Amino acid sequence: MPRKLACLVLALVTAASLAASWLAPAGYATQFREAPNAPPSRRHLLGTDQVGRDLFSRTLYGTRISLLLAPAAALVATTLAAGIGGVAGFLGGVPERVAMSLTNLFLSLPWLFLLITIRALLPLNASPLASVLATFLMLGLLGWAASARVLCAGARALRTSELLLQARALGLHGPRLFAVHVISNLKPVLYAQFWISIPTFILSEANLGILGLGVPEPMPSWGTLLKELEGVTSLTEQPWKLAPLLVLIVVVTSFQLALSRQEVPL
Amino acid sequence: MLSSSALAESGSELRFCLHSEPKTFNPLLVADDAAETIRYLTGGVLVRVNRQTQELEPELALSWKVSKDGREVTFKLRKGLSFSDGTPFSADDVAYTMRLLMDPELHSPTGDAFRSGSGAVRSEVFAPDRVSITFPATVAGLDRLFDQVAILSAHSPKKEMAVLGPFMIADYKPGSTVLLKRNPNYWKTDSHGRRLPYLDSIRLDIQPNRDIELVRFKRGELDLINSLDSEYFDRVDATSPGLVHDAGPSLDSEQMWFNQVAAAPLPPYEREWFRSTNFRRAISQAINREDLSRIVFNGHARPALGPVSPANKFWYNSRMKADAFGRDASLARLAVEGFRLQDGILRDESGHRVEFSIITNSGNKYRERMAILIQHDLEEIGIKVNIVTLDFPSLIERITHSFNYEAALLGFTNVDLDPNTQMNVWLSSAENHQWNPREKSPETSWEAEIDKLMRAQASSRDPGKRKESFDRVQEIVVEQMPFIYLVNRDSLSAISASLQGTVPVILRPQTYWNADRLTVSAEAGTRGR
Amino acid sequence: MIAAPEPLLSLRLSVDYPQKARVLRDVRLEIGQGEIVGLVGQSGSGKSTLALAILGLLEMKDGKAQGAIRFRGTDLLRLSEREMRTLRGSAIGLVLQSPLSSLNPALKIRTQLKEAWKAHRKGTRDECAGAIRNALASVSLPVEDEFQKRYPSQLSVGQAQRVLIAMAVLHRPALLVTDEATSALDVITQSEILALFARLKEESGMSILYISHDLPSVAGISHRTAILHEGEIVECAPTDQIFKRPSHPYTQRLIASLPEVPAGGTLPIVKTTAATR
Ligand SMILES: Nc1ncnc2c1ncn2[C@@H]1O[C@H](COP(=O)(O)OP(=O)(O)OP(=O)(O)O)[C@@H](O)[C@H]1O
Ligand SMILES: [Mg+2]
Repeated sequence: MPRKLACLVLALVTAASLAASWLAPAGYATQFREAPNAPPSRRHLLGTDQVGRDLFSRTLYGTRISLLLAPAAALVATTLAAGIGGVAGFLGGVPERVAMSLTNLFLSLPWLFLLITIRALLPLNASPLASVLATFLMLGLLGWAASARVLCAGARALRTSELLLQARALGLHGPRLFAVHVISNLKPVLYAQFWISIPTFILSEANLGILGLGVPEPMPSWGTLLKELEGVTSLTEQPWKLAPLLVLIVVVTSFQLALSRQEVPL
Repeated sequence: MLSSSALAESGSELRFCLHSEPKTFNPLLVADDAAETIRYLTGGVLVRVNRQTQELEPELALSWKVSKDGREVTFKLRKGLSFSDGTPFSADDVAYTMRLLMDPELHSPTGDAFRSGSGAVRSEVFAPDRVSITFPATVAGLDRLFDQVAILSAHSPKKEMAVLGPFMIADYKPGSTVLLKRNPNYWKTDSHGRRLPYLDSIRLDIQPNRDIELVRFKRGELDLINSLDSEYFDRVDATSPGLVHDAGPSLDSEQMWFNQVAAAPLPPYEREWFRSTNFRRAISQAINREDLSRIVFNGHARPALGPVSPANKFWYNSRMKADAFGRDASLARLAVEGFRLQDGILRDESGHRVEFSIITNSGNKYRERMAILIQHDLEEIGIKVNIVTLDFPSLIERITHSFNYEAALLGFTNVDLDPNTQMNVWLSSAENHQWNPREKSPETSWEAEIDKLMRAQASSRDPGKRKESFDRVQEIVVEQMPFIYLVNRDSLSAISASLQGTVPVILRPQTYWNADRLTVSAEAGTRGR
Repeated sequence: MIAAPEPLLSLRLSVDYPQKARVLRDVRLEIGQGEIVGLVGQSGSGKSTLALAILGLLEMKDGKAQGAIRFRGTDLLRLSEREMRTLRGSAIGLVLQSPLSSLNPALKIRTQLKEAWKAHRKGTRDECAGAIRNALASVSLPVEDEFQKRYPSQLSVGQAQRVLIAMAVLHRPALLVTDEATSALDVITQSEILALFARLKEESGMSILYISHDLPSVAGISHRTAILHEGEIVECAPTDQIFKRPSHPYTQRLIASLPEVPAGGTLPIVKTTAATR
């Protein structure tokens, strides 16, 4: 029952964000300069932001971007994590040690400086779409390491299990053995890592903005919308400003409810 | 029995925040705001710029005279003064201070302002109350520079802790507070002959967090916030109206500029745009500065035109007029240069779409919002603007080294009124000549003219002539728009009701510039702890 | 004299683990074509080690084998991993003790059977489905889709063990190694599985190395029985003989510790028709 509800919520949110161009009363960049920082009204359901842009519209469009791209980035990261951490744990021995020291190295890298370098290499005039895609691809490519450790531990525990012994005894081996028996058993861990990364990526995206990466103005994303919360002087006086945060929480929770352990019956 | 500290707590203590740890208590080494605050409150100077009238007034010096060639200044000192520890003050102390100040080993940032040419600085003591100081070359605006020079005692065993200002350092708890006590030997008296300062002490809490500062101010634990930004201003105004003060536009400006560096890694046609005066002026005309002030700063800023804020009473050139604002005026000017608006897209003569990025430093929400408004304004004339916020070091790297940027939006902080402090911006060979730094020789005729005018005003001692030159500089800048000035932010402060005698001004320190005449009323109820 | 045909498997084996040397010490064992050989020993005697060695899977536990394992005339110890792989599951099958930990809990049993089939055969879906149905039928499990779509957790332990056996015999191996294959089962299921092994052997003529710590269950199925004690085979003889005239003191103690030696000395499940020679 909660699952059905969650699916319904997701369907609604997705549909609404996809239909943003029709549903939104204004474009995400339209500035109502006569009404900056306005409270909710019939005209602006969620009020306007500091430069007078309709927050309801921006939330819709922002949802579209983040809802599509954060899971995509999480998918990239989790796939990489499974590929690197999972395979390392499955192979054990030298490959595992090499992969894990790489992972640790990756985690200990001064990311701030690396990202600054990346920003320096990228052109300043990227099209917004390209910037958005590059941002989430980057998040995906950079976000695998923590998950890789978890997956490596999971795969390592499987490596010497009876399950794999039996499978090997049946003649299975190599990539096939990994794909069929290891991945299927790591699925709960993979799901968990996937869901954990989504909110993380959404927030990281907002922080990338500090380095001139991230979703560029005037495009909205959950990240940029959340960042604007920093500037909200008093949430008790302006509770509607929390709407994007609420949408984020609802969506992430619904995702978890809707998709957790769908494969494996209890 | 009441101890003096109990007395201080009973009402005559002023409390406010330093936003960082003072890096030094040596007045000659001051380079940060916190140390500057302490120097201002404790140091005695020969002459002082009246923060309200912006005029130079006698202080420790009764009078002074600058020589014709601008290399020598002679002070006649007040007699019978002594430092906080009782050591008498004389011309020896001035000579001693100058010697330390100009000692190359000391690397005094204050001393740097006096360094005009190579060679030694000579101080000559003619009498206990007469001293002259000679510099190897003309120092522009020489006398005003002494506003920054706190006189040290040549003889006191307490070294720089012996002061001539209204207060002296009584206690310092690193990371927590600096406590200043009134200097019993301070020389000034009020019109009734009462000795200044009125306050017994000043308690400076070291608190980098502005939100905490605000909360403590609202609770009555602080008596003032010297400079507020507009959002905080409105927050205080909403809960405790009457405590905030908008002293009008400050000297600080926000501006954007285009990269005109010849060697910049930009396509040639873009450099062409950026080097076109009409292009820059057209961009300027398309920007709605009223909206910037009203929306971004909530009205606490004024549209800016030129390099000098109207707050700078003497130097501001009031005859200048801004180009008409508006889409059509802007497009008309662009058309002169061959730009055409087609299907909502602005193209140059050879058909290139006009698109550029504006970089600004991340974390400054006002600049980010200004950029968003400008992006929108320029879209109206068919220009696509990409906003890129960068961390400060990357931004500086781009605008000073790699020149890999198109336009930048930043602010300039002006501490000083005198144009001489802006030499490093206006000379075409200067480092801070942001749109095209370190030119070997002026690349345009108008930059050559600015160079000439700036040098002329610097070498002249006649204020009228200097102003004439600098007025012309302002006119050229407004004609050529190497910087597109956007707004001057207002000088905002908050002052508790129990603090009396304050006159908020735009010059630093805006609220406590007359600290020696401030009083705190001792209504216990309003003063929490 | 007629030369005896070469046995299907004959080994002479010593095994070391990194942390424990000489887990098996010069173990010699022969298994003939169609013969069921029991291997009995107490916990820790090295039974599983021997099973792993035969399947070339000692590596999984970092074990090192020395000696020779001749299977159909080739020494398995000298085969490359790649060559060994082609034998595992097709020529030599393995059934482990606990079906619940040996089956993949996350996959339907059909998927697991399919994977086992594809490990050695390329063929159409139909061929694969047919082979799976045959295998399920041969271990007396339902062949319907409904059953094949179940997850291991939806099976009884006996059914799960049969699924494991079905996978092991899918490619009709010449040798089936069962390591405590019935130990986790209740007595009735245990005897059903034993009967299943006997039948499979009967039908396909495969040889079985039946490993157990439980002497009576071994006696019920094997022609010959080897007694493993602390890494050495102390006695190897026809099962009858082991029961009637145990020669090694350890075997004698083992027999004596049984609750009751059946009167006939044999548990006549296995007909002796398919004798070794
Ligand atoms: N990976 C290993 N490293 C070191 N020693 C091991 C390893 N695996 C097993 N051993 C040891 O080798 C001996 C034989 O183990 P093995 O698993 O073959 O015994 P077993 O007869 O199958 O016992 P059980 O009846 O408990 O399954 C035991 O003493 C065991 O402790
Ligand atoms: Mg065992």
